[in-house]
Amino acid sequence: MGPRSRETWAQRLGAFRASPSAFMAGPEGEDLGCDLLSELRSEKLSEQTKVSLLALSLEYPAQLWPDTAAAEAAATSLLDTLVLLPPRPSALRRPLLLAATTALAAGDALGPTSAASLRLLPLLLGLASGSDLGRGFGPASEQRSLQATACECLRELESCKPGLLGGRLGLLRGLLGQEGPVQPLSLLLALALRNALLIQARARAGLQGLLVAGDAPAVGIPWNWALAEEGAAHLQPQAPGWPAAEVQECGLAVLEPSPEEARELRAAVAQLLDTSYLLTPVAQAQLLWLLGWALRGLRGQPPVLFKPQLVRLLGTAQLTLLHAILALKAAFGEALFTAQDEALLLRRLTLAAQHPALPLSAHLFYLHCLLSFPENWPLGPTGEEAAPLLLGPRLCRGLLPSLLHDPMALLARLHLLCLLCADDEEKEEKAQDWSPQHYLEELLAGLRQRAALDGGPRALATLCFQASYLVVRCLAMQPAVLTPLTRGLAQLYQSRPALAPHFVDLLDRVGPELGEPLRVVLRQEVVARPGKDEALCWHLQILAKVADGNAQSATLGFLRAAAARCTDWDLQQALLQVCRALLRAGVGKGLADLLQALARQLEDPDGRDRARLYYILLAHLAGPKLGVALGPSLAAPAASSLVAENQGFAAALMVQEAPAPIRLSVGPRRAEGPVPVLQLQVEVLEPVYSLELRFRVEGQLYAPLEAVHVPCLYPGRPCRPLLLPLQPRRPAPTHLDVRALYTTPSGLTRHAHLPPLLVTFADLFLPFPQSPEGDKQGFFEELWDSCLPKGAESSLWCPLGPQGLEALVSHHLEPFVVVAQPPTSYHVAIHLPPNSRLLLRLEAAQVDGVPVALRTDDWAVLPLAGDYLRGLSATV
Amino acid sequence: MAQRAVWLISHEPGAPLGGTVRFSRRYPTVEKRAKVFNGASYMPIPEDGPFMKALLFELRLLDDDKDFIESRDSCSHINKTSVYGLLIGGGELWPVVAFLKNNMIYACVPLVEQTLSPHPPLISISGISQGFELLFGIQDFLYLGQKHDTEINTKLNQLPDLLLQACPFGTLLDANLQNSLDSINFASVTHPQKQPAWKVGTYKGKPQVSISITEKVKSMQYDKQDIADTWQVVGAVTCKCDLEGIMPNVTISLSLPTNGSPLQDILVHPCVTSLDSAILTSSSIDAMDDSAFSGPYKFPFTPPLESFNLCYYTSQVPVPPILGFYQMKEEEIKVKITVNLKLHESVKNNFEFCEAHIPFYNRGPITHVESKVSFGQLEVFREKSLLIWIIGQKFPKSMEISLSGTVTFGAKSHEKQPFDEICIGGTAYLKLHFKILDFTLTGC
Repeated sequence: MGPRSRETWAQRLGAFRASPSAFMAGPEGEDLGCDLLSELRSEKLSEQTKVSLLALSLEYPAQLWPDTAAAEAAATSLLDTLVLLPPRPSALRRPLLLAATTALAAGDALGPTSAASLRLLPLLLGLASGSDLGRGFGPASEQRSLQATACECLRELESCKPGLLGGRLGLLRGLLGQEGPVQPLSLLLALALRNALLIQARARAGLQGLLVAGDAPAVGIPWNWALAEEGAAHLQPQAPGWPAAEVQECGLAVLEPSPEEARELRAAVAQLLDTSYLLTPVAQAQLLWLLGWALRGLRGQPPVLFKPQLVRLLGTAQLTLLHAILALKAAFGEALFTAQDEALLLRRLTLAAQHPALPLSAHLFYLHCLLSFPENWPLGPTGEEAAPLLLGPRLCRGLLPSLLHDPMALLARLHLLCLLCADDEEKEEKAQDWSPQHYLEELLAGLRQRAALDGGPRALATLCFQASYLVVRCLAMQPAVLTPLTRGLAQLYQSRPALAPHFVDLLDRVGPELGEPLRVVLRQEVVARPGKDEALCWHLQILAKVADGNAQSATLGFLRAAAARCTDWDLQQALLQVCRALLRAGVGKGLADLLQALARQLEDPDGRDRARLYYILLAHLAGPKLGVALGPSLAAPAASSLVAENQGFAAALMVQEAPAPIRLSVGPRRAEGPVPVLQLQVEVLEPVYSLELRFRVEGQLYAPLEAVHVPCLYPGRPCRPLLLPLQPRRPAPTHLDVRALYTTPSGLTRHAHLPPLLVTFADLFLPFPQSPEGDKQGFFEELWDSCLPKGAESSLWCPLGPQGLEALVSHHLEPFVVVAQPPTSYHVAIHLPPNSRLLLRLEAAQVDGVPVALRTDDWAVLPLAGDYLRGLSATV
Repeated sequence: MAQRAVWLISHEPGAPLGGTVRFSRRYPTVEKRAKVFNGASYMPIPEDGPFMKALLFELRLLDDDKDFIESRDSCSHINKTSVYGLLIGGGELWPVVAFLKNNMIYACVPLVEQTLSPHPPLISISGISQGFELLFGIQDFLYLGQKHDTEINTKLNQLPDLLLQACPFGTLLDANLQNSLDSINFASVTHPQKQPAWKVGTYKGKPQVSISITEKVKSMQYDKQDIADTWQVVGAVTCKCDLEGIMPNVTISLSLPTNGSPLQDILVHPCVTSLDSAILTSSSIDAMDDSAFSGPYKFPFTPPLESFNLCYYTSQVPVPPILGFYQMKEEEIKVKITVNLKLHESVKNNFEFCEAHIPFYNRGPITHVESKVSFGQLEVFREKSLLIWIIGQKFPKSMEISLSGTVTFGAKSHEKQPFDEICIGGTAYLKLHFKILDFTLTGC
């Protein structure tokens, strides 16, 4: 693209500034960085335009040159442009230096492998030391300003890469002693010194003579990156300078310089402080912060060096200077400030916090400083705002809040007043003439009066509630304050119900000390004074917050009366919201009538539906469950209360699957009755209510099984066995699929899948019902004969265990034995429901086994019987 | 110590966006450090549009006061300093130093060299006071002596270049921007050794020191048993020293007439080299007694080139310069007012101007006024519900003047009429504006 005119550039820059992201996403975005660099060398553009291009690169390097390589290339190009400038005065040198520095530092390109860095650093150092860089560096008239600029650039690079100048401390000291510009050199030296001390302390190394004044600028010597490499790891959050307790963390305490190093260090610091009056006030403050930081916790470095400066600075009105003194106070405490000094400092702060010649923002900051004052011997916990001990009520008298103050000033002063009240309460003997509590009460009353103004701005109401909240937070334990406050707020509501959202907000934030009584009086206020129609929606909003089980009939009476006036959707929903609160609170009978009436009479179908839903819930759910159903949703906060409510329902009323706290097992068999019955044993890990166990059989083997119900089960408390009658359609073992449905102690319904239950072949055995008394043998023979020819016959060898046949029979077959000739012969007849029979002859038992002849009328039973008999020996 | 970004936003009530960004400057190298220092709590500097919107909302400068908005109106959202947290795109930008002055919002975001959650106390952040100083500096530069929009626009256009001098990398070098402007112009002057950074060049010419003292008296007279009347004088000593040499030493001494009320709450310019401890401790907080230090007040200093405020003080003079009496009686839509003013004999009876403003709040427009003044003339501003009693240059010989009259009001129309949250019903005030040349109340 060809060169652009000044106008097109102005337009382009304007468009970019309006929204950098939109511009960069557009068609022109991509080329902007390159265009800018090339246009800087164009001869058609004026210097002024070029400066504005450079200004853009100072602000948005990340957008123009998004990666390290691009930043490196840009810095190289900027340096080339700088070198190519004709040797006459030019407004471009300074911004070019700044731009190259910014490109390298912001683009992460600064480092030993970056060619541009290796060009820029010696150039800056050379300029900073005022050495003649030869032709190309402009006329002598610019030297001074470039020298300062180079110092600024170096300071910024040192800030971004601590330790970069660690090896040049001596050189910088030397320059400061000579003719260099005092401010840039002082600040650069102080920063480099602070960083070097920090890094060396972490590395547990000494100063290693870093401070000893060096020779002339070492332009040719390669740059020493060692300290910066160490430092790079330390540009971390480090809670600098504050609070004093964190000295250990910074590790400065471990740096113990040798006496010689300590002397050098002291000399360097003294040198910096001695000329500090030549710096602008803001720069003096920076210097104090840096040096305070550097020397904090350093052994052998008494902070008295600072003392001569303090007297000079205490009298000023400069925010930065007083702030820097406070930083020194925090860093050195008693070592620098005696109790008298502390008192004087507090006095000056108190004075500055109300001085009519200072702006409000400064007052507020000083008030903050008072409440966070770094005391020599703080009493309270650190980190909490508190009135310093030496700040007595007399000093505070000028800092009392009044209605005429700006809201922020009022709140800040109110906080101080609250702290005074808290102190006053602790004191045995109270001041006779003046009581902070009384003052506080009057102030709050005034605030409420203003908030009650009809049509007044919301800011006034907000201020009143903020003040009330602040008072409650500070003085929650003082009924003498809270009682009038509660009463006053109730009156405020009475005169301006439109403040209901503020009341709801306040109730949400304060603890029970104010919350409980305020709820009660607000409820009384609403119920007793229904008021005009326009207040109804606010009343309902308040009631939804404060309604509970108390004073039910009055509340319901109010709602009944209100229902007739709720003609639009909003009001109806607000009304139902109150009903909901009552439902949650467990209000019963009267509410049911109201809901029924609402379900009929409300005009809006939405309202009717919701009323009906609440009625159904009330009629069908027990108290705790209702509470859970309507309780706050456990899900993420929803966008609206209706959604939240639905989520609550979903969570509470839907049956959720859960891992079962129930263990089910099959107990001993009971072979009796007309059908086989499983005895189930249940254990639970937590209380379970309304347990319903549902069973399902795979395939069509059995008739569907009835569910088993248990009202409640408790862990550790035995429960009688549950009987599960089986109705087999064929005599076959099977698995029962078991599901449990139950209610948890919190009222939620859960369902769980339990491990399947095994119904074995033997579980189906029943004795023959009508075994005749007399001829048992004959009965058996009759059964035996009747099996054939339809059925099947088999014989097999049943191995016996050491206890022999008798034990085997008594263990497994006892109920079914028809004829017994112990110990060698047994005739066994088993009824297998629905209508099969299995007959066994166990005769002529030998030591290791018994031959078994078996007959059945159902050939399908044979393999099962065989497996069963063979398995017996294993279980004996 | 550094700032991540600076903005100037003009507040335009009623405009669609509520304001316009007049100036903004970002510091990417500082931003780089913020990212490292703030760690997980880092929140990038937003673009101008979203920033302005969030700031106007937080400062309650958007016209959407109607509804309760929790993030702004909640009782626990308490701001006690001019430092805010702005909710932008789901994150919080903190700390934003901002204040509104002359319909211009001054804002900056200082670098915090630690994690931001939980918020560290403001007192531990060096960038906060530096940020304030930068914004105060810009404000002084824009508004000192300037009243016209065109002049302010010219100065706004100079700002980018000035900040390039005074704050090239986000770390403020000099809050006095005028100094930076001069240093651009003086660039070719060769500087001798040990030139203070706050003094751009040297003066050549006839030595001359001019000092002016301005005193403002702020008095509230209630004429009630339970509320004490107050009157306090706030003084400022302004100097312009045209002296040769790099660091000339000057001492200014303020002395009071015998039995004069002592100067208190003295704040000095940083160029003052030393201060008597009696000056440091003399404060209005203390009960007055005869032992109070009453001067002479010596201020040794090395002056900068420009005009500067050497010191500020307050003083508790024994009586208010003008004693007032104001009574208002309501009779349905009318109010009867009576005003008496009395000039104290010790005060020079020669005003540049003197007028009493009698505003009426929370009422309709003035429809009719019947009045009688013993001196001067009464002007009526019907729509503003305001009476101005122009007293003129001198009180009459008796030193006492009075006004009585009846004011009738029309029906209250919406919004247009002045609203005040304190002046309800019978609560009202009269405000006296006056200026006397070549006279101080303290006598110094």
